[in-house]
Amino acid sequence: MKFALIGNPSVGKSLIFNQLTGLGVEVSNYPGTTVELQRGNTCFQREIIELVDLPGVYSLEGNSDEEGLVRRFLEQQDVDAVIVVANVTRLERNLYLLLQVAEYGLPMVVVLNMADEAAKRGLEVDPGPIHDLLGVEVILTAASQGKNIDRIIPAALAASSPSMVEIPYDHHIEAAVRSLGKMFAADRKESVRALLGFGDNPEQLEAARTISDEIESRHRMTVAQIIAANRHNFAHKIADLTIKEETELPQTDPDSILTRLIPGMPILIGILVGMLLFVFVAGSFLEGMIVEFFEVYAMQPFVALGLPPLAEELGVSILLALQAGLGIAFPYVFLFYIIISVLEDSGYMTRAAFLADNAMHRVGMHGGAVIPLTLAFGCNVPAIMSIRLLRSRRERIIASFLVTMVPCSARTVIIAGIVASFVGIGAAFSVYAIVFVLILVTGLVLSRVTPGERFGMIMEMVPLRWPDPKLVMKKAWSRLSEFLFIAMPLLLAGSVVLGLLEFFGVMAVFEEIVEPYTMALLGLPGYSATALTFGILRKEMAFETLAILAGTADLGAVLSSLQLYIFAVVTVLFVPCLATITVLLREVGSRITLAITIYTVALGLLIGSLLFYLLG
Amino acid sequence: MLPSTFEDYLEAILTITEKGGQPATLDEIAAALDTGKEAAGTTVSSLVEEGYLERAGGDAVRLTGKGSSVASQVARKHRVLQCFLTEMLGVDEDAASKEACTLEHGISDETIERLSSYMDGAQSPPGRLGRCRGHDVCTLLDCKEGDTVRVAMMRGHRRHRRLLDLGIFPGEIVQIRRKLPNDSVVVRVKGCDIAISPEIARSIVVESCP
Repeated sequence: MKFALIGNPSVGKSLIFNQLTGLGVEVSNYPGTTVELQRGNTCFQREIIELVDLPGVYSLEGNSDEEGLVRRFLEQQDVDAVIVVANVTRLERNLYLLLQVAEYGLPMVVVLNMADEAAKRGLEVDPGPIHDLLGVEVILTAASQGKNIDRIIPAALAASSPSMVEIPYDHHIEAAVRSLGKMFAADRKESVRALLGFGDNPEQLEAARTISDEIESRHRMTVAQIIAANRHNFAHKIADLTIKEETELPQTDPDSILTRLIPGMPILIGILVGMLLFVFVAGSFLEGMIVEFFEVYAMQPFVALGLPPLAEELGVSILLALQAGLGIAFPYVFLFYIIISVLEDSGYMTRAAFLADNAMHRVGMHGGAVIPLTLAFGCNVPAIMSIRLLRSRRERIIASFLVTMVPCSARTVIIAGIVASFVGIGAAFSVYAIVFVLILVTGLVLSRVTPGERFGMIMEMVPLRWPDPKLVMKKAWSRLSEFLFIAMPLLLAGSVVLGLLEFFGVMAVFEEIVEPYTMALLGLPGYSATALTFGILRKEMAFETLAILAGTADLGAVLSSLQLYIFAVVTVLFVPCLATITVLLREVGSRITLAITIYTVALGLLIGSLLFYLLG
Repeated sequence: MLPSTFEDYLEAILTITEKGGQPATLDEIAAALDTGKEAAGTTVSSLVEEGYLERAGGDAVRLTGKGSSVASQVARKHRVLQCFLTEMLGVDEDAASKEACTLEHGISDETIERLSSYMDGAQSPPGRLGRCRGHDVCTLLDCKEGDTVRVAMMRGHRRHRRLLDLGIFPGEIVQIRRKLPNDSVVVRVKGCDIAISPEIARSIVVESCP
């Protein structure tokens, strides 16, 4: 048996899914998209039932990735029943999707969630009318209290016949549906969808287009508008019958604080800076501990073993990769995802996106991009993972470029460790200034040249509520394991390759070859190139390697201020670290990853040589 | 009665000055009327001489009291005619605007009055909500926080499928919950708050609710 959960975003679908399934939840990406599909199993009367949690959508006919996925999923008819979850406090709008799903003709169960909130608002809910009109089982639940959740699976098992509801459309649409039905022996659902431009029979689509053009010129409204209005009006009728009493209680509205420019903007900035500081402080503390732990309990004992040199080199490389991976995974990815999940689940994210919308427009993205860009200051890895929040591929591409350029905490270590301590505080700030200007310019240019349609923001402000701690931890954990699974193998391989190159003296040869070029271009000695290369593994390593290769921690003694400054600037701009590259590969694909890598390398070298010629 | 060219000039200057609140420059006037700058200069000078316009520094001009009463009369005729053509006769909007431009100069005040009251009494065909009756076309951006308005029409609807799915379609009543100085708006529709970017809000034509 296989059931699918479907509903609007933030109706408590994930919470229900979580309560129904226990262990063994598998998060998979739908082929070719970044949209996540959660699958889990539940046991009922010794039978294993597979549950699929589809992404939250508003409609089955939109053009976003999520909507396309849900549409394809339902078209395959690969489920035994769909469980439609609706937020009963926003019933009318939720019924719109419910009616669309009902038209698909799959056996279904309706779950009216958030009954507790409805009761608090003085709404009296009568599930009778929906049951009568749609002919399906209706369950009133309160997922946050776990009420009636146990009734869902038995009801879904009992659901055998699809809903027989027929949405009363405008008479022109009805006539069109009838004639399309006759011409192509199509059922009602198929004809309606053909009128909206969906389907796979080109002749039918052509005929439907002709009819809908005719209707459009008569009504001066598009067919999509008419059908949407008909569905909404029908939903309105059902909602009126279902919700008995509406005594609007005087509520304190937190949005009067959160979405005004003052104090909304200072609150937004406060939250972003606070989030950054927290992860900066807590993250670097934890990272320090993990790195130290590895140093003392793994690296040193391993080196003390006195293995043959090649084995030792290999072992050290593997340990270094583990150290780098875990050092990013737990402190940054995990902490960030806890914070992000809290922001997302509480509904604050939509407020932040609303406030930041206009600023982000200038660099070609919508308000949601403020989150990845802020996260990037801590660590680029979770920031890249969170660009999924953005809707169009165009925005994801722009965001991935900009995010990789934002100086993360590791690059801050370089700026602080090299520039601030050997050159001066003012110089350190100037590095930031250079980077910010470059980010801004890149954003402005990309927003012009990146292909793809510009989408403005049309976003529901989801109701504010307390996030469920279990769900938050689960999400953060799934992101963490995802990172470990994809990044670790590449990190290990990269580290071993670098180690071997070093071992067989390829690095030394490389240094000799590049020395004339680095000297001419950047005014830097050859070994700095090695340091830069190691920086790809973990950004701080550029600093550490430089100190080791220079043979002293007092870099000021061997390199001039200008050389140190240029080295820092190049390192900060140069290729994102290996972990970032791996997540980039996953989120935006190999071509964009390659473009970003080449762009950042070229930018680093260009700015470095410019500085060398201007200041040298 | 003034020649129709003069009326067109006054009407164009009224539109320009209403939009920005600034005096209209010769460039703007020439662009609005799709004519050369020199030709525009000559006509403007004669209008100044006749006392319909006054100079406002540089080559910019603004309407005098006399000028603006003529201009608003013409503008009203244009509106009523365009309304009649699009809503009652179903003429395409651009074509209706051009037609109205020609008709507005010949039609008498009385006929316009009668046409206007005739339309007020008539039921508009379904789907064509009386959007220009008596008032200017305004969009979501022209509304204040707290206003309750009815959606009359949506431009560029094919791109904004999500608006339909969220319940914003012609005929629906929405309330403006928040409007930031940068013109991002939040509207309440069907009990849900929807945030909308300025460029999309601009494409939603509304009329005030009865």
